[in-house]
Amino acid sequence: MLQDYLSTRRGDFKDYTELRAQVNTIQRVTLLSGNMTANSQEETGGVCARVYRGGTYGFASAAAYSADSVANVLKAAGDNAAFMDTHVKKGMPPLPRITGEKAGLRKFPGEAVNQSLLIDFAKELDALIVEKCKHLSSRTVISNVLNMEKLLVVSEGADSHFYQPRAMVYVFMTAETPDGDQVELLRPMGGFGHFDEYFTDPTLYLEEINTLYEQLMAKREGIFADAGMHKCILHPDLAGMLAHEAIGHTVEADLVLGGSVAGPNLNKPVASELVNMVDFAHTAFDKPAPLPVYVDDEGVPAEDVNLIEKGILKSFMHNRESARHFGVKPQGNARAFAFNDEPLIRMRNTFILPGKDKLADMIASVDNGYYLVKTGSGQADATGEFMFSVDLSYEIKGGKLGKAIRETTMSGVAFDLLKTVDMLSDDIAWDVAGFCGKKQLMTVSAGGPALRCDVNLGGR
Amino acid sequence: MKEIALYALDAMKKAGADKASCQASQGRKDEFNVEANKFTLLRTLFDDSLSLKVLKDGKKGTTTINKLDKESVDKAVADCVALAAQGTPDEAEDIAPLATNRDFDQRVGGCDTAKLFSRAKEYLEQVRDELPKIMIEGMTAEFNANNTTYANTNGVVFNTQNEYYNAGSTFQANEGEKTSSFNYYYTNLANLDKPLLELGMQRALLEESVRSLNPRMFEGKHVGKIIVTPACADMLWYTLIDCFLHDFPMIQGTSRWKDALNTPVVHPKLTLRNSPLHPLVVGGERFTPDGFESVNYDLIKDGVLKSFALSLYAANKTGHPRAGNAAIWNMEILPGDMALADMIKGVDKGILINRFSGASPGPSGDISGVAKNSFLIENGKISDALVETMVSFNLVDVLQNVIGVSQEVNNDGYTLLPWVCLDGVTISGAS
Repeated sequence: MLQDYLSTRRGDFKDYTELRAQVNTIQRVTLLSGNMTANSQEETGGVCARVYRGGTYGFASAAAYSADSVANVLKAAGDNAAFMDTHVKKGMPPLPRITGEKAGLRKFPGEAVNQSLLIDFAKELDALIVEKCKHLSSRTVISNVLNMEKLLVVSEGADSHFYQPRAMVYVFMTAETPDGDQVELLRPMGGFGHFDEYFTDPTLYLEEINTLYEQLMAKREGIFADAGMHKCILHPDLAGMLAHEAIGHTVEADLVLGGSVAGPNLNKPVASELVNMVDFAHTAFDKPAPLPVYVDDEGVPAEDVNLIEKGILKSFMHNRESARHFGVKPQGNARAFAFNDEPLIRMRNTFILPGKDKLADMIASVDNGYYLVKTGSGQADATGEFMFSVDLSYEIKGGKLGKAIRETTMSGVAFDLLKTVDMLSDDIAWDVAGFCGKKQLMTVSAGGPALRCDVNLGGR
Repeated sequence: MKEIALYALDAMKKAGADKASCQASQGRKDEFNVEANKFTLLRTLFDDSLSLKVLKDGKKGTTTINKLDKESVDKAVADCVALAAQGTPDEAEDIAPLATNRDFDQRVGGCDTAKLFSRAKEYLEQVRDELPKIMIEGMTAEFNANNTTYANTNGVVFNTQNEYYNAGSTFQANEGEKTSSFNYYYTNLANLDKPLLELGMQRALLEESVRSLNPRMFEGKHVGKIIVTPACADMLWYTLIDCFLHDFPMIQGTSRWKDALNTPVVHPKLTLRNSPLHPLVVGGERFTPDGFESVNYDLIKDGVLKSFALSLYAANKTGHPRAGNAAIWNMEILPGDMALADMIKGVDKGILINRFSGASPGPSGDISGVAKNSFLIENGKISDALVETMVSFNLVDVLQNVIGVSQEVNNDGYTLLPWVCLDGVTISGAS
């Protein structure tokens, strides 16, 4: 656990200042068709300081974490802040004061999980796949642990000590199509917590393995989507991607200030009245959110951000500086991934709230369209235009599922698509497997219900 | 760094490693940041790194830390040996044999912080004055200095002292409530002699963003030609390596080209190289993570597959030769014989693509995604900017249909890429 070399420097703070010590540990085992191509551990940590003066920041970091290195980075950050203040001359007043109580550890760091747990689980799961899935051309099993511990001391606001482990197992399966091509599907499993909280007995994942295999066998016989606009049902697994990529990024205040299409739409309709969207801080539906954030890396106590209420865009997500610009209260969205990263405005648990429809009824309501089931990656644009890969989908003909579809892509303009949403399911799903890649990596979670809407698909 | 690397190697041997390698690095980054046209931050990062690899009874362990003190190195060594003991034997695992050890000097004279700031400020002022509709959403102007040593138990020792600047921005155009798609352009630099606005495609892409404020949708569906600009390298060239030439698809056996070495795989107009030693590539790789001295090599020459992009492990695993370097981002495509203007004239109906927003395709090479920052070409002329326009094609198939490769080449300090015209691409609008 991180020792506190930070608090004693508080007397040296002259301007608004953050001191953060951090350690990220990563363990990884990769079995590529049975070959162990990765068996690795990585630990990166250190200390950083950020100082605000006159409208700009100075930042410095060092890999060494000791009383001396804390003093050194504090001085270097101060020097950088002075350089910027002298040369840029923004002449801004200090940031508005924030108050908050120190947030202590809720989950406690321990020793690194023994690598043999990751290795044994991967090998046993791989053996299970070999036994059960006879028509694969290749398979990959990845056991992955990412633990993040942060100790934060701020000149004003809330100090915090934060620890967050995430354990995932990723299974890729590949099969050959009748025409000699290869198709692939991925199933991520796990979530926020220690490896042994999720992965003790591979047979507990047998149903998921069987389902993935059945989906892949359907996809190898799949056809190409018909390019163009279609009435589609988005499985709950896609709602998270929609919430994060298509909408979430456009309402991050730094992107709003950069000219995002959301800027002029505050307090205006951007979606059908059925749509409500929240960036949860730490609690969702009376349970801990998948990625709980209690205090952000600017010492701001984290609160939920109600982004869309009954189709109206109500808020942006902020750091302290953008909140001052817009005259609102920051709600804890400034987060940094590594010890040498500065906090950026980031999403936490971004979620489209569920509706009242049943997924089966939604599928039955579509005469000619597609059921989009799995996505792999996505990108968004300042214009609100977005793109997701669609790794698994099915035709819907006469309200019934038809043939599977090969890889395709869905795209649209977020606010246009949201206005076409006319059904939302009452069941939901969270996606906790991904990283957001806005300048720095960041762990995020997102989710929502199934949606019926109009979607532009790539295809042939 | 050599002292630390050799200490770690010795410690790994004493701890029972049959073979071992170590890469130790110490570096500094100074980085100016801009958001929404304004300076926001100056960052100074002091970074260390130590990567260890142990082979014991054919089993591998790797450990990475960012500390270089003796206590941390000793712990990392013990951890790495313990990891290897838990691994699975694989005779394909190895380290590079002893060849000629070398020290490389890639320094550019240290950081001129005042000039770096001045160039960044000048860039912002030029954009403000000459392209007032442009919003610089984010910009970094940085200097990087690293001292890195690789050593292994076969006696290989390489060192490089590497310095380079990097500058660029992510930007879009705004006018009232209208916003163009964002785009970006970053360059590696050995010096700050030229204004940042005049580097490579920077000015052209900014101007094109302004022209994109009033886009229109591509009407219907059309199978035709696209011109892929050097700014859109990820859509074709890096995807090609990921899908067909790199370690994973080759070890998995899913690469469509796994048995195609020395056979024609794409149109003969195409020659692709990985060229970290090209004089216009700044700060390029000098030795590989496996411990080999880097050399430029042809992936594809005149349409014929000449090499896969394989590491030592993947080469041993597949029986194919190892690649000459691991710097796949230093892509060089040899120029063709067609002037860009003539290439555009030859397109009756198609699009010019500056950026592609799409997922990495599966092993089949089927790609679909949104053509961003792109323009319609009609009757041989570039016309309106496009929005909500998708392109779909199969990577292998479309690279058989190369209409032309431009004489002009863009260099951004990482890559040397021409414009390439391809036929047989499905272009569809959202209407």
